[in-house]
Amino acid sequence: MTATTTTPAPERRAEPTSRVREWLGSGILRDRAVLLLALIIVLLVAMSILDALGLTSGTFNSDYLASTLIAYVPLALLALAELFVITSGRGGIDLSVGSMVSLTGIVFAMLYQQAGLPLLVAIVLAVLFGALLGAINGVLTAYLGYPALITTLATFYAYRSIALVVSEQRPISGPEISEFYNAAKAVELPVIGGSLPLVPLGVFTFLIPVAIVAWFVLNRTTYGRKLYAIGTNDTAAQWAGIDTRRTRMMAYVTAGAISGLVGVYTVAQFASARPDAGTSGSGMALPAITIAVLGGVAITGGIGKLSGILLAALLIVWLNASILLVVPGNEGAQAQLLALGIVLLGASLLSNATIRRRQAGAPRRLAVPATAPGAPK
Amino acid sequence: MTTATEARAPQAVSMRRILPPIVTGQEVVLLVVLAVLWVLLGIFTPAFLTPGSIGPLLVQVAPIALIGVGMTFVIITAGIDVSVAGMIMVSAVVTARVLVSYDVPAIVAVALAIVIGAALGALNGILIAYGRVHPIIITFGTANVFTWLGLRVFDSSTVNGIPSTLEFFGRGAAGSTLGVPHSFAIAVLAVAVAWWFLRYAKSGRNLYAIGGNQNAARLAGIKVQPRLVWVYLITGALAGLAACMIIATGTSTLDQSVGSGKELQVIAAVVIGGTSILGGRGSVVGTLLGAILVQTVVSGVTQLGWPTQLGFLFVGIFILIAVGTDIIRERARRARA
Repeated sequence: MTATTTTPAPERRAEPTSRVREWLGSGILRDRAVLLLALIIVLLVAMSILDALGLTSGTFNSDYLASTLIAYVPLALLALAELFVITSGRGGIDLSVGSMVSLTGIVFAMLYQQAGLPLLVAIVLAVLFGALLGAINGVLTAYLGYPALITTLATFYAYRSIALVVSEQRPISGPEISEFYNAAKAVELPVIGGSLPLVPLGVFTFLIPVAIVAWFVLNRTTYGRKLYAIGTNDTAAQWAGIDTRRTRMMAYVTAGAISGLVGVYTVAQFASARPDAGTSGSGMALPAITIAVLGGVAITGGIGKLSGILLAALLIVWLNASILLVVPGNEGAQAQLLALGIVLLGASLLSNATIRRRQAGAPRRLAVPATAPGAPK
Repeated sequence: MTTATEARAPQAVSMRRILPPIVTGQEVVLLVVLAVLWVLLGIFTPAFLTPGSIGPLLVQVAPIALIGVGMTFVIITAGIDVSVAGMIMVSAVVTARVLVSYDVPAIVAVALAIVIGAALGALNGILIAYGRVHPIIITFGTANVFTWLGLRVFDSSTVNGIPSTLEFFGRGAAGSTLGVPHSFAIAVLAVAVAWWFLRYAKSGRNLYAIGGNQNAARLAGIKVQPRLVWVYLITGALAGLAACMIIATGTSTLDQSVGSGKELQVIAAVVIGGTSILGGRGSVVGTLLGAILVQTVVSGVTQLGWPTQLGFLFVGIFILIAVGTDIIRERARRARA
């Protein structure tokens, strides 16, 4: 153990003036929500200027921004799923969310369209099915000791394969599902709707309820406290009497249930259940993890806030929408990749640099990946 | 905690204890599983155990095993690289464009692809080693940037009319000697060199130390950061070489899906091969066997006439079984110690 051989850290005695300077230098960047909010405002201002100068290919206004929220719902929800899993620590990550979205979408369409179950029953069963898929991840990771990356890589392949085989690689659609399309499309709110842009209904039916429940669970329940505890220090949490395995497993179950809900949402969004809804292209898992990290979730566990997730997803969705206006067509779609990559790299390098500057007085330490044995928790 | 008696132990003894055994348990298990699978497939599909079927299988294994060598290094250092697909895409599309536009000899094309891959890999390595951000985050970020770069070079279309300059790596008669595909032979050679490097070269063994405990490795005098840069650079270079193989085995047209999904296939091969995702333990021979196993399962399912997509269900199950047996053996090892 290295701790016994190194001398204890010298007492940190920062001068008050340098403390203030440090706080000014890093304070605004320290809170991820403030940074993201600032970036969103910069984006909106810049786009408004470009729009006023006539440099955009379409009008940039609140209606346009509101209409892009249809893509915001699945992105924010899956990033929220990653929040639970990554925060649970010990290298927690879920690569299988996209596959779970595909598979629960197919199961939902089968229950609703082909078995003719009532809508609400079908939704509940689909979400429960998603939770079951998440429970498989959870049992393997929390109880059997598989590294999360391995578990969810395996189930990514397995669930995707099942979704494609069960559906015979054909999308499921029909009159009931076409009707269900209304659940995601834009609506005018009653009473105050006239003065507001048209917001997709999915924001109210899917995102806001889940966000409220998630906020409550993370901040106002013992489960939330336990989740942050096991992510911060698994051993300490165990000694504090927390059932770490059960707590960690529930994080994966939650991620599965949320993925199930996103599966239902994608069926509504596309008016059909596509067997590759969550896995086509680079899939849904990678953007979800990217947004979670951008939102300030520490990949080492124990740190992560709902506000960061919601703002990071909003930033990415509006950034993508803005890019499409400035760089039209295929080139714009490609530029979105670049923007996502640059924002992720910039945010993670920047936040790491701020943390390091704060620790400047402490002995120099290398960042050890949390998954490494003996890594500082 | 090193006690005085252990410190006085002869160098040879302690070295033997640190070095992994020549053949690990995981490799034996994989060999047995592969043998069983090949016999079963030979019984149920008579066409499987013929040169006409094994040859193409090995050609498809080659790029995965080749990149797997680099990925094994990366994972031994407790890292990961999910930008492999992006590196393949950039190397492949630039090389293909050069092949179409200028009549360059094969050696120049291969060198170009390797240099491009190495440059992208070095970028990963520098950001990871000196930015000190978790490798998965950096490589998620660079994966997006690389994919953008590749798509820009594609310019919203396919690359058509690629000449057969790289047929040395291909499926055809020019691509094999005495029935052994050249690409597979190169992959085996790379595995052999890497096996020697990890076992007998000082800088190779340093990788295990870095993966075991980065702080301890640094305190023991290992230059952690340059080592990490090299590891990612090599992975990139191998991805570039693999891109040449992928161009050669394809048609004369290269489309935008090139490389897609390869990162997960490579990681699957590495972990099935017994390399611990937690770092500090792993072997390249296992990675080669893992790559062959994955391709056997995928090809076997097709040859049995089952839905192609079912193959990946078995890949997932094999990942769980392979890592599961490894976890059980590791627990037994720890209980003995």
